[in-house]
Amino acid sequence: MEPQEQNSRSSDGDDCSVSGFDSAEKVIMKWDATASEEAREKMIFTDPQEVKLYLHAVDEIQRYVSSSPGEELESRASSAIQIAMARLEDEFRNILVSHSSPINSDSLMSCSSHVEVEEDNNNNNEEEDNNNQEEETDLLKRTGSSSSSSSATTVRLPTGRGSYSRSTSSIREIELIPIDAVVYLSWIARRMVSAGYLRECIQVYGSVRKSAVDSSFRRLGIEKLSIGDVQRLNWEALEQKIRRWIRAAKVCVRVVFASEKLLCEHVFESVGAVNIHEACFMETVKGPAIQLFNFAEAISISRRSPEKLFKILDLHDALIELLPDIESVFDLKSSDSIRVQAAEILSRLAEAARGILSEFENAVLREPSRVPVPGGTIHPLTRYVMNYISLISEYRPTLVDLIMSKPSRNATDTNAPEMDFSEVENKGPLALHLIWIILILQFNLEGKSKYYRDAALSHLFVMNNVHYIVQKIKGSTELREMIGDLYLRKLTGKFRQAATYYQRAAWVKVLYCLRDEGLRTKGSFASGVSRSALRERFKSFNALFEEVHRVQSQWLVPDSQLREELKISILEKLSPAYRSFLGRFRSHIESGKHPENYIKITVEELETEVLDLFEGLTATQQHQRRRSE
Amino acid sequence: MLLSFRRDQVDSNAASHNNNMEAELDSFQRQVAEKFTDLNASSSGDDLLSLEWIGKLLDSFLCCQEEFRAIVFNHRSQISASSSPTNRLVSDYFERSIKALDVCNAIRDGVEQIRQWQKLSDIVISALDSRRANVGEGQLRRAKKALVDLAIGMLDEKDSTRLAHRNRSFGRAKDGHNRSMGQHLRSLSWSVSRSWSASKQLQALASNLTTPRQNDVGLAVPVYTMTSVLLFVMWVLVAAIPCQDRGLQVSFFVPRQFRWAAPVMSLHDKIVEESKRRDRKNCCGLLKEIGRIEKSSRVMNELIDSIHFPMSEEKESEVKQRVEELVEVHEALKNGLDPFERKVREVFHRIVRSRTESLDSLC
Repeated sequence: MEPQEQNSRSSDGDDCSVSGFDSAEKVIMKWDATASEEAREKMIFTDPQEVKLYLHAVDEIQRYVSSSPGEELESRASSAIQIAMARLEDEFRNILVSHSSPINSDSLMSCSSHVEVEEDNNNNNEEEDNNNQEEETDLLKRTGSSSSSSSATTVRLPTGRGSYSRSTSSIREIELIPIDAVVYLSWIARRMVSAGYLRECIQVYGSVRKSAVDSSFRRLGIEKLSIGDVQRLNWEALEQKIRRWIRAAKVCVRVVFASEKLLCEHVFESVGAVNIHEACFMETVKGPAIQLFNFAEAISISRRSPEKLFKILDLHDALIELLPDIESVFDLKSSDSIRVQAAEILSRLAEAARGILSEFENAVLREPSRVPVPGGTIHPLTRYVMNYISLISEYRPTLVDLIMSKPSRNATDTNAPEMDFSEVENKGPLALHLIWIILILQFNLEGKSKYYRDAALSHLFVMNNVHYIVQKIKGSTELREMIGDLYLRKLTGKFRQAATYYQRAAWVKVLYCLRDEGLRTKGSFASGVSRSALRERFKSFNALFEEVHRVQSQWLVPDSQLREELKISILEKLSPAYRSFLGRFRSHIESGKHPENYIKITVEELETEVLDLFEGLTATQQHQRRRSE
Repeated sequence: MLLSFRRDQVDSNAASHNNNMEAELDSFQRQVAEKFTDLNASSSGDDLLSLEWIGKLLDSFLCCQEEFRAIVFNHRSQISASSSPTNRLVSDYFERSIKALDVCNAIRDGVEQIRQWQKLSDIVISALDSRRANVGEGQLRRAKKALVDLAIGMLDEKDSTRLAHRNRSFGRAKDGHNRSMGQHLRSLSWSVSRSWSASKQLQALASNLTTPRQNDVGLAVPVYTMTSVLLFVMWVLVAAIPCQDRGLQVSFFVPRQFRWAAPVMSLHDKIVEESKRRDRKNCCGLLKEIGRIEKSSRVMNELIDSIHFPMSEEKESEVKQRVEELVEVHEALKNGLDPFERKVREVFHRIVRSRTESLDSLC
């Protein structure tokens, strides 16, 4: 119960009882720390009785001051007030300091656990990432499009993404200072303000609370990193810091800042002047808020490289989610600069995301590796790009708002595919970008396929990779929806065509051996077959087939279904051709010497050999296989 | 280079294009020279290193930066070839500019620091405002308290640490106030890490800055020019505003062959002179207004110490006079700090924007 003036005392200033003044003055002098040892050693606000007496005395003197009591009293009164204010300032500071331990981590964590739940799924997946992506991403790094960090780090593409709930009422104020201390503080504040000592009050409050906020920051793991520091860190370390920052920022805005604001309101609630609590709040949190956002700002202006996209989007999303809370906590005119900074960072992050997408597209187009992938299998670039755009499709809700322009192509760049989006007028920009990425991936792959010396292998390579693209699209609903069935059909047609080209290139010579013409001698029909020519044919066929079998067993078609289909397709042509060839001409060979030199293989054996194809077997493995049969 | 020259002679289109480029680069040199000549002209006496003057310096920087940005944009085809020396030059400039961004952020802290002093001087003014009531002992004590806080707050970093050590070794401060010295130590309120150093930033900004030859073609000269301007501006900011580990020792020298060298070096020398003056040697920032506050508050402090009650009329009018002086500098700060801070922030933004744009074409 706040010490009130006793009713028996007259409130009419003129009728001032000097003894009232004297005793009040005495109380104040008693606690003048410059004058007495005892006053220095004890604090008033540890003893409620003393509190009552003291504040009563202060109120009393203040009444005299405001009632113009005549020169002598006025001078004593103003002197007493100064001493009282100096004392109250110390008491104020003392109460604040003794209750301003940083928010204990338990209450911070329990507040933040609510905030963290959505992110746990996300983080677990990231921790379990496998390293298969290493070689794929090294490729992009070699194109020079990546960040300037020197260590070759694994790019961890997060495999999943938690959904962020976009609630605005997630502010949680906690009690920073026990209520009885708050009451004392507000009693003191009232006296200081009405005596005109507002400035001192704000200053003490601000400096103590600010360092409490600083301690809370340290507990939350918020670091004082400069932009230079952020530039120098490798991406893996940065990813971790971003994750931590997102968690911490939510707690800062929703708990720490909000609680400080409430505390200001409570302490200065009964104080007459308007907006004092606002000034105190800004005094307390302006510096820390700027420090907090400096990190996000540093990230938003760092060099762009493809692996940064998803964490930047996470940061962007986190900020968007926080924006309503930021607006609500920092709703004062004096905190304009903080709101403005948050908005600036958001827009820079959006720009960065757009820039990175561009970078990525360039990198895919220009990825220069020429070493053909052995066996014509799936190129690491294909894997990386398809994984990347699958992830992009998962971030669709965010990206659809950010990506606003169609993909562009440097008009003078002759080394890029044509861009014709006439058939896809109703697709949004993001979808167009994805289609474009697939186009340029294909374009790049076509270029790479030319480095195979064997034409058949280059077609196989194209087939494998385009097929992989198709499978990845089919495997993701989002992606399929964005790419659309039209392009999917085109891609499907593409790999089927490549399969056909492969067959032609690989088998035409073999099949040529089994043709009819040229074997029959002129004029006759029934038995006019040139045995020597026939023998040559059989020899060629055997040699060619053996060669094809040896070489193409080392080739690879990773997709089992595609592999089987291809084999079947080959057999559909090869098997009947051989069978009928044997049927027509075997008697001629068998009637001659050493038929086993010419008919080396049965139809069944032929079919079995074809099954070896595309298994990626090395020569030794083939040999071992044969021996075990 | 010879080859391209011959090609330019043949292709008249390219020749005129080349002339345009030359004209552009020349105009840039001229503009920088003009701006700094103006600044040099307006740098007499009290103007140099005032909030207003530094504001003008920042404005000049923004102009030069804009023109530089246009030059880089017009040359982006040259720049995008990743192995071209132009590419290296420009990307080097933007790496350096990151140091400048960090300086801008540190300056923000420094401005906040100055605001604290402004608020303390506000207390002094409020205490001694004789319009409300006669200045009595109480008000004097109040003013004195604020003045002591101000003096401690304005101690140069190194001094304040020494003071803290001394006080700590004496046990609790004699006056019985439980004020923890730590709260006055500026280092706690910096938003930079303890190892961050303004002077190291400047040194890094200036490192390996090679002077191009007069007739170097391409962007060597404009890049050198812009880098020098950037370095100079940051140097001035660090000189004027309190920040962690201020130091002006970075060597800054521009050879006379450049048109803008004379005014820039003249300003540089004036500021170095200023820093060596006895009364400013150990200050925490060369900003004129800091000096004025320091002086006013010191004088006021001495005056208050010399007053015995009852106060003579002479003393009363002296107090009034000193209060007016303090009010003047307080107003200057109150009105000038916010726009100044915004300008520093604008510099930050322009550097970032220019860097982002150019990095995109640098690949």
